[in-house]
Amino acid sequence: MSELTPIVKEPITHTQLVRYAGASGDFNPIHTVVPIGEQAGLGGVIAHGMLVMGFAGEALSTWFPRRNIRNFQVRFSAMTRPGESLTVTGEITGEREVDGEARVSGKLIVKNEQGETKLKGTFEAAKS
Amino acid sequence: MLKDISKKEGYQFPPYTFVVERGKIKEFALAIGDMNPIYHSKEAAQAEGYRDVPMPLTFPTVLDMWGGNDFEAIIKSLDLNPLKVLHGEQEYQYYGEICAGDELYVQAKVISTEHKRGMNFFLLETTYTNAEGETVLIARSNVIERVGGEQ
Repeated sequence: MSELTPIVKEPITHTQLVRYAGASGDFNPIHTVVPIGEQAGLGGVIAHGMLVMGFAGEALSTWFPRRNIRNFQVRFSAMTRPGESLTVTGEITGEREVDGEARVSGKLIVKNEQGETKLKGTFEAAKS
Repeated sequence: MLKDISKKEGYQFPPYTFVVERGKIKEFALAIGDMNPIYHSKEAAQAEGYRDVPMPLTFPTVLDMWGGNDFEAIIKSLDLNPLKVLHGEQEYQYYGEICAGDELYVQAKVISTEHKRGMNFFLLETTYTNAEGETVLIARSNVIERVGGEQ
């Protein structure tokens, strides 16, 4: 149906993961301490899933007024590492009425430059 | 040996209260690289009709991690191997506006557990209530523990 303008993010850096750990309070060391990531069998650190969802959330509140967002759901499908550049794309897939409120529903995908899907999500937003 | 994760069903995490702060919202938006002005300045937010700086869509993770149910608390409560924990799914349902200055009461519990394909799944649900007693947000989170290797 209706495509939304893609949001292209800067490459993720180790520093960004440290910064996100501090901001969010998620200090799981697999996101910030390389030897721990290796010990966990991940070959290094991986980005917080919630950081990637945060990119998707940034896109959503760019596409729609923040206050109109009613539902936002994602499934994480691949790990993201420092150096990867992610892009959020989305589209409106339908409309429905909930408790007298007209809403649009849609889906979004976050992918890296190679086209690997990091997460898929759905959302609903009130029509303004 | 397999641990019986079903015993964790119905487990209620200790409730906590959290005051949403403008500076914390800005720090969080900067970490994501979200430069939407409504998250960075009260004036910009009010110009868009918000009471104060609104909570970014994924900010509830800050409430959880800084408010009480951080990574350490979750692995301890659910008896997880910290090196084997992954985040499978996350959902938010937004019922009311949450802005800087709001105090929220937060209660999380384990809704269900499942063991399949060498992994343990825990579905957590968190309810966020404002000072007026209104449920303004519900979060659902699927936490995965990779336990493979135990045939």
